[in-house]
Amino acid sequence: MTQAILYKEWLKTRKAFWVSLAAALMLAAYACLAIQRIVVGKGVEHVWLIMLLKDQTFLDILKYVPLAIGVALGVAQMAPEMSHKRLKLTLHLPYPTNRLILWMILLGVIELSIIWAFTAGAVAIYQSTILPHELVSRCFITSLPWYLAGYIAYLFTASVCLEGRWAMRIIIALVAMGIACVLFMQPAPEAYWGAMGALILLVIILLALPYRSVYRFKEGLQD
Amino acid sequence: MQPVISVKNLTQRYPGGRLIYENLSFDVPQGRILGLLGKNGTGKTTTINILMGYLKPLAGECRIFGQDITSLTPATRARIALLIEGHVQYAFMTISQIERFYSKFYPKWNRDAYYELMSRLKVTPNQKISSMSCGQRSQVALGLILAQNADLLVLDDFSLGLDPGYRRLFVDYLKEYVSAEDKTVFMTSHIIQDMERLIDDCIILDYGKILTQKPVAELMSTFHCYHLEDGSRPVPGSTPLVDSKEIINPSMLGSTLEFFSFTPKEEIAQILKAKHLNPSELKEIPMTLEDAFIGLTGKY
Repeated sequence: MTQAILYKEWLKTRKAFWVSLAAALMLAAYACLAIQRIVVGKGVEHVWLIMLLKDQTFLDILKYVPLAIGVALGVAQMAPEMSHKRLKLTLHLPYPTNRLILWMILLGVIELSIIWAFTAGAVAIYQSTILPHELVSRCFITSLPWYLAGYIAYLFTASVCLEGRWAMRIIIALVAMGIACVLFMQPAPEAYWGAMGALILLVIILLALPYRSVYRFKEGLQD
Repeated sequence: MQPVISVKNLTQRYPGGRLIYENLSFDVPQGRILGLLGKNGTGKTTTINILMGYLKPLAGECRIFGQDITSLTPATRARIALLIEGHVQYAFMTISQIERFYSKFYPKWNRDAYYELMSRLKVTPNQKISSMSCGQRSQVALGLILAQNADLLVLDDFSLGLDPGYRRLFVDYLKEYVSAEDKTVFMTSHIIQDMERLIDDCIILDYGKILTQKPVAELMSTFHCYHLEDGSRPVPGSTPLVDSKEIINPSMLGSTLEFFSFTPKEEIAQILKAKHLNPSELKEIPMTLEDAFIGLTGKY
């Protein structure tokens, strides 16, 4: 049964997954090419200098990509559930409701993690050919909040889609925007490193958000 | 024997505050096909939403197979086949994908029943449900219900959006299946003709209450439509017949007074006599279930 649930979720998200993966990899490649252009034109030392003296990571083009992917995957997965209130079909399946929601969300989180792993991995592999380990890790730590923002965007989007009332959808969306703003406020590299534990905890807490929307739906709180 | 569905003192209101019904109680015994009939807004879909756990009632208790509907176990849910209003299914799946998906959840899954019905549609196994007509989608939904081989079928407005051909196909298939397998069915439809060919028992809902709840055969034999040919009768609001509790929904059709009643013709004739009307003009008119429904609920 779990396999069947994952199969259904995969059918809904596979297009968004492949398109997101391709887009993220293309943008990662573009970011790497931009660095390579400087390496070819001014030498690798110049890249090091800019990174150290001007606090640059050359990855700004990837900054909002996880956020956009999180929203896209959330919509692709959850919007079909609410179109014609199909969630009723899902909730009627002879499977424990909490576990059902958990698997739905986990599949989204796993797909995002795969996209993040490929994107961050591709960038790190390229960077490790021209940069010292310390700078590669600095770039990775700098981009970590962006990826966490992707998870947060996904969970909030899922919750907005599964919510039955427009007023509550707007409130959830506003809270999401507020949290996203905080995550992108500090442009300096490694600015969020000290708060990483709290951010990961926030993502874990936010896993409960879609549950809340589903249970509100089951209570009949729908427009 | 314990009823398959048991509803006790159910009370519900619309979000705006209007009372849908108060203290609604009914049972659906095993092996019976019960139709919940009512005009738009009388709470048919609301009742199904409550029974399936998608809506919390203000008050009352509902049980299915003896279990409180707020805590139905997965095993009990597996015994209930649900058709959502508009034959909603996972439109992003194809005919074969949806069969593969559902088959994993139901221990008595009958693949052949599904594909037998699908073979009658001019669709390919790889066709997406979203690209099908409403009629074809209804057959997919029906095929899934038949394959599920559930003990209880809950069907919400199964005729919605279907042309007469598909409606007939749906009814015929369902009827054959239900009678052969001794299934219990709880259904709603706004097309009463379809229900007449299917249901054993009916509940007729009006705004806020149950008007009648009995076997269709009993309703049709005890509820009557009468015409009184008398052009001199004034408009219904002023006819003295309206005073009688036995007379239901009187209305003028040209010069004929039409009314409905649970009272037999002989007793109606006595009432007419008492009101100085000529009972020889009284005629009992044959009725369909739809006529009886209109007779009980009124045209407006």
